[in-house]
Amino acid sequence: MRIAIDTGGTFTDCVYLRGGRLEILKVPSTPPKPSEAIAHALGRIRESGADLASLELVCGTTVGTNSLLQRKGGRVTLVTTAGFEDVLEIGRQARPHLYNLLFEKAEPLVPRARRLGLRERLDSESRVLLAPSAAEVAQVVRAVVQSRAQSIAVCLLFSFLNPAHEKLMARALATTGLPVSVSHEILPEYREYERTSTTVVNAYLVPVTSGYLSEIEKIAEARSWSLPANSKRAKSGRRVSRVCIMQSNGGILSAGAAASQPVRTILSGPAGGVLGAQYVAESAGFGRIITFDMGGTSTDVALLDSGSEETLSITSESVVSGMPVAVPMLDIHTVGAGGGSIARFDRAGALRVGPESAGAEPGPICYGSGEKATVTDANLILGRIPESGLLGGEFKLDFPRARSYSNRQSGPMPSAEAFAQGIVDVANAVMEKAIRVISVERGHDPRDFTLVAFGGAGALHACELAAALEIPRVLVPCFPGALSALGILRADVTKDLSRTVRLEVQTAVKEIAELHRAFATLEREGRKQMRAEGFSRESLKIDRSLDMRYAGQSYELNVPFNGDFISLFHRAHEKRYGYFDRARACEIVNIRARFTGRTPKPALPKLRIGGPSAAPAIVSKSQTLFHGGREMTPIYDRSRLRAGNRIPGPAIVTEYSATSLIPPDWSGRVDRNGNLILEPRR
Amino acid sequence: MSVDPIRLEIFKNLFHSVAEEMGAALRRSAFSPNIKERRDYSCAVFDAAGNVLAMGDHMPVHLGSMPMSVQAALRAFRLGPGDVALLNDPYAGGTHLPDLTMVMPVFAPRSSRPLFYIANRAHHADIGGAHAGSMGLSREIFEEGLRIPPVKIMERGRIARDLMAILLANVRTAREREGDLTAQIAACCIGERRLMALVAKYGSREVIAHGRHLLDYSARMMAATIAAIPDGVYRAEDFLDDDGVTDKPQRIAVTIRIRAKNAEVDFTGSAPQCAGSVNAVAAITESAVFYVFRCLLNEQVPATSGLMRSIRVIAPAGTIVNALPPAAVAGGNVETSQRIVDALLKALARAIPSRIPAASQGTMNNLTFGGTDARHDGKPFAYYETIAGGTGGGPGHPGNDGAHSHMTNTLNTPIEVLEHIYPVRVHRYALRRGSGGDGKFPGGEGIIREIEMLADVQAGILSDRRKLPPYGLRGGSPGSPGKNEIVIEGKTRRLPSKCTFRAPAGTLIRIETPGGGGWGKTRKARRAVGRKGKSPKASSP
Repeated sequence: MRIAIDTGGTFTDCVYLRGGRLEILKVPSTPPKPSEAIAHALGRIRESGADLASLELVCGTTVGTNSLLQRKGGRVTLVTTAGFEDVLEIGRQARPHLYNLLFEKAEPLVPRARRLGLRERLDSESRVLLAPSAAEVAQVVRAVVQSRAQSIAVCLLFSFLNPAHEKLMARALATTGLPVSVSHEILPEYREYERTSTTVVNAYLVPVTSGYLSEIEKIAEARSWSLPANSKRAKSGRRVSRVCIMQSNGGILSAGAAASQPVRTILSGPAGGVLGAQYVAESAGFGRIITFDMGGTSTDVALLDSGSEETLSITSESVVSGMPVAVPMLDIHTVGAGGGSIARFDRAGALRVGPESAGAEPGPICYGSGEKATVTDANLILGRIPESGLLGGEFKLDFPRARSYSNRQSGPMPSAEAFAQGIVDVANAVMEKAIRVISVERGHDPRDFTLVAFGGAGALHACELAAALEIPRVLVPCFPGALSALGILRADVTKDLSRTVRLEVQTAVKEIAELHRAFATLEREGRKQMRAEGFSRESLKIDRSLDMRYAGQSYELNVPFNGDFISLFHRAHEKRYGYFDRARACEIVNIRARFTGRTPKPALPKLRIGGPSAAPAIVSKSQTLFHGGREMTPIYDRSRLRAGNRIPGPAIVTEYSATSLIPPDWSGRVDRNGNLILEPRR
Repeated sequence: MSVDPIRLEIFKNLFHSVAEEMGAALRRSAFSPNIKERRDYSCAVFDAAGNVLAMGDHMPVHLGSMPMSVQAALRAFRLGPGDVALLNDPYAGGTHLPDLTMVMPVFAPRSSRPLFYIANRAHHADIGGAHAGSMGLSREIFEEGLRIPPVKIMERGRIARDLMAILLANVRTAREREGDLTAQIAACCIGERRLMALVAKYGSREVIAHGRHLLDYSARMMAATIAAIPDGVYRAEDFLDDDGVTDKPQRIAVTIRIRAKNAEVDFTGSAPQCAGSVNAVAAITESAVFYVFRCLLNEQVPATSGLMRSIRVIAPAGTIVNALPPAAVAGGNVETSQRIVDALLKALARAIPSRIPAASQGTMNNLTFGGTDARHDGKPFAYYETIAGGTGGGPGHPGNDGAHSHMTNTLNTPIEVLEHIYPVRVHRYALRRGSGGDGKFPGGEGIIREIEMLADVQAGILSDRRKLPPYGLRGGSPGSPGKNEIVIEGKTRRLPSKCTFRAPAGTLIRIETPGGGGWGKTRKARRAVGRKGKSPKASSP
C-alpha cells in the first residue's frame, strides 16, 4: 500500500488509495518530532482496517529546509584545495544589500577552524599539476577526526573535470566512519563557490535528515511487521516496507538515497503542492498553469508549461537562506506576503505589506491576540471571509476587534474599509510581481496560462491577480486541503544526473558521437541507480538535455538533446533574450539526463452531478466590499456543490481550510472532479 | 496633492521590475566575464525629463551618475523610435571610458514625444588605449582608450554598422565587445517592451503621473531623513595615497551643511585635478553623494532622482572631484569615488555617530592584464577584475570580511572560469587574517589573491589605501593598508599602488587588500573574547 504524507506546520496530511478510492486523513503535526504524527496517522489508517502490508511511504519533508533556516544542521568539516579554504566564506565577494551601511554577512556553515586544505591541484584541462601525497592525505584525515566533525564535505578545484583526487580523499576519509559528501557526486559542475556551497549544505543536512529518515523507516517497518501472525510475509522475515522522499525537482527518491543527498530535498514540501496542482489541472484539461500557493507568511508561485519540452521548469540557480544550492529544483519563486503579513505606513506615507508576518502567534487581529493589521484582517473587514470563520466554523474570527484595531492604524486612509482595500491591493501587487518573475521575465505570456490557486488564502486573491495579469482563468482544485500529499502520491521516481563537458560545437553532426559517448556513461550510472530503486531498464524513461550557450557567455539555456539541438538553442535564446546569432559558435556546458520510473497514477474521484443551479449550496450571505461598492454576496458551502453547478459572481465559497472569492464580474462552474473553474464574465 | 499610496507602491514595483529585467537579460546574454560573472553593469528607467524613476539593484557608482548620460544624449540629438544612443565620454555624460552607456527612448504608439528613457551601463574589459584593460596609468584621457561622445549606435532599429566597425577596430578583444554591445542593445529593447506594455495597460497619463509621484515620494523621504540630522556644519577630509605620478597624497575635503530639510555638500578645498588618472568627473562626485545619503534612508525607498532634490552639491571645477578635459579619469570612478564616500561618512559621523561605520577598504583593487593566448592560437585577451576587502566595523557589529563596499558590488570571477578562459593560474584566494582594525567592533579582513601569469602580459594595478589606512572611528584602530607585489623567479618585489608593467610568463601577482577600520575602543575583556573565529593575537602582516 502506498501512502503519501505531507508534513506541514499545522497538519500532517495523508493521501492513499484504498480499493481504488482516494482517501484523505489529516492529523495534527508534531513539530519537534515530525515522525510521531506519521506514526499516529499510520495507526489510524490501520485501525480503519486498511492492510499495511508491503507499505510504501512517500514523504514530503521540511526537515532539511527548517534545519537550514534555523541553522540546526550537523557539525561539518570541509576539505578544499590548499590555498582556497576561504572560498566558502568569501563567496562571490558581493554584499546582499547595496544601501545598508551596517549589513552583516551570514556566518558560513563551516567556520575557519574546520576548513582544511589539501595540497593538490588540477588545471582547467583536468591535468594533474600536483598529486596529493599519501602522507598529506593521512594528515588531513587526522585533522578531520580531531575537528570532531559529524559530517564531512570535500570540494577540490576542477573536480568536475577529473574526480581522481576527490575520490582518493573520500576513500581515505571513509575510515573515519563519518558520512562524506563529495562535490563531484553532489554537483559535478563548474563554479567552485556554488559547488562548495551545495556540497557543504548537503553535508550539513546529512546528520539531521538521516536521523529523521531512519525514524520513519523504523515506523514503517514496525507497522508492516505488525501483520497478523499467520501472514506469510511476517514469517518470512523479509523487509516489507519502503520509504521514499519527495525531492525538490518534483521526483521521488528512496530514503536511502535521500539520506546521503539531502540537499535534493530542500523544496520537498512545496514541490508536492506544484505536482498536485499539475495533476488536478491536467485532469481538468489545463496543461499550462501558474501555481499560486498563498499561505500564512509566504506565497509560492511556479509555472508549468505542458507545451514546452520540459513541463516543469527547473532551475539550478536557487539560493536558500543566503546560500547557493545549485542542484536542480522546481523553479518555485517565493515572496514574503501571505495572509499573516503585516501592513504599515512608512515614513513617507506609502502603504507596505510584509515581509513581516504575524505568524500563528500572535496571528492576525481577528484571531484574538494580534494587534497589527494583516491581510487576513483586511479580507475579513471587506467581508471577503465569512465571520463564521475558518476550519469549518471551528475557528471564529473577531470582526469588531479587527475593525477597531485597523481603524486606529489606518493612517491617512478615510476608513478601516479603505485601509483594508489598500492592504489587499498592495498584497496583490507584491504577488503580481512574483508571478511576473516566473512568467513574463522568463519569456512566457500569462494570457496563455491558467492560475491554479491553493493554500489558505490563494483563492481569495486569485481572480484579482488573474485580472491584473490578464490570465484568462482560475482553477481552485478539488482536494485543496491535501493537494501537496496528492502531488506526492502521484510523483514518479526520478534521478537527475549531469556532467560538465564544455564542448564547443559548430554543427550538431560533428560532435554527436562524442555526446552520445558522454551520455552513455551517464546513463550507465543512472540505470544502476534506478535499478536500486526497483526499476528495470525497460520501464525507465530517460530525458536527455544539454545546457547550452554561445561560446563566451556564462549562463546556459537547457535544450533537449535531439538531432537539431543547435537550432533549438538559437530559438530558445531568441525567446529569452530577444536575439540570436547563427554566426557564433555554441558551447555545450553540461549534459543532463533525467531518469524517470513511472509510479501508478490514481484517477481523481468524480463528484456527483447536479443541475446548473448552485443555490442549494448557499448557506448564508455576507456584505462584501468590492472596488465598485458594497454587494450582498452569497456564501456557498463547497461540500454541497455538485458537478455542473454554476456560480455567478459575486460569491464566496467556503471549505474546511480555505475560502474562494468570485468577484462581481466573474463567474464559476464546478467540473466533474469538483474543481472550481472561475472566469471573467464576457 | 494627495496620492494614492497603494498605486504608488504598485508602480514602484512595476518600474523596478523593468530595471531588474533589463539587468537579467544583459547578464545572461553577455560575453565578457566582467559583465556576466562579475555583474559590472546597471540598468535604470527615466522619465521624459531624464529623472531616474527606478534603478536595478546594481552598481552604486553607475546609478547615481546615469542621469547625466541621459541628459548628455538628450542634449546631443533627438532620439526617435528605435534609436539607441551610445556614449562613454566622461566629459559628455560618461564617467570613465570602459563604462559604455546606452540610452533608448520609449514612445507611446503613434506618438513622437518620448514618454520615458531607459539606460544601461556596462564596464567593458577593454576599450583600447595605451594599456590592456584600459585602466592603466595615464596622464591624459587620450591614452585611456576610445572616447565616444553621444552617438546613435542604433537608428530606427538598425545597428549602425560603420560606427560599430570603428569601435571594434580600436579595442583589443573585438568579438567579445561586439557580443557585449549586442547584449546591451537587447537589454534596452527588453526594457522598452516592458514599459510599452505598462503604458498599454494603464494608459500613458497614469504611468507618467505615477513616475512623478515616485519622485515626490522619494524627495519627501530624503527630506524627512535630513531633517532628522541635527542642524550644523560638519567637516572632514580624507586622502588618496597619491595620483600614481607623484607621491603626494590627494586631498578630498568636504563640508556638509545641514539646515532643516536641506543638505549642502561642499567639496571646496579638495586637491586640484592631478597628473594621474584619479580624477573624478562631477557625475562621480554626485554619484558618491547620492550613495551616502541613500544609505541613510533605512527603508526600501525607490532610488529615484527625487532623493537629490534637497541636496545641493558644490564641486569646484578643475579639482579632483570635478576634473576638466583632458585629465585622465579611469581611477576617479573606481578609487576617488570610494574616498569621497569615506570623507562624507567621516563628516556625517560627527553628526550622527550612532549610524556610521568606520572606513571600509576604500579601494576597488583594480587588476587588469592582457596579451595573447598561446593556448588559443594567439587569440588576444584582456581581463579586468576588482578585489573585495574588509568593511568597517560599525556601531553594533563587526565589519565584514572579504566583501565589496560602497560604490561597487561586483562579484568575483570563479577560479574555474578564470583559468578556463585566460592563461593564468590562481595560487591563493584567502582572507587576510589580522588585517581588520581592532576595536569594540573590529573591521573586516581583507583578501589575498595570487595569480600566476602563464603568458607574457601587460598588466596594471590601480589601487589605493596602500599607505594611508582606512580610518577607525570612536577609538577603533585603522585597518591594515593593502599591498601589491610581484614574484618573478622567486624574487618578490613590492609594487606601488598604481602601476602598469609588462610581466613575463611565470610572474606571480599578489594583491593583499586593506582591512576595514575598527569601531569603538577595545576593552581588555572584550579582546579576550574577540570575535568568532578570529584570533585576537593575529599579527599584522
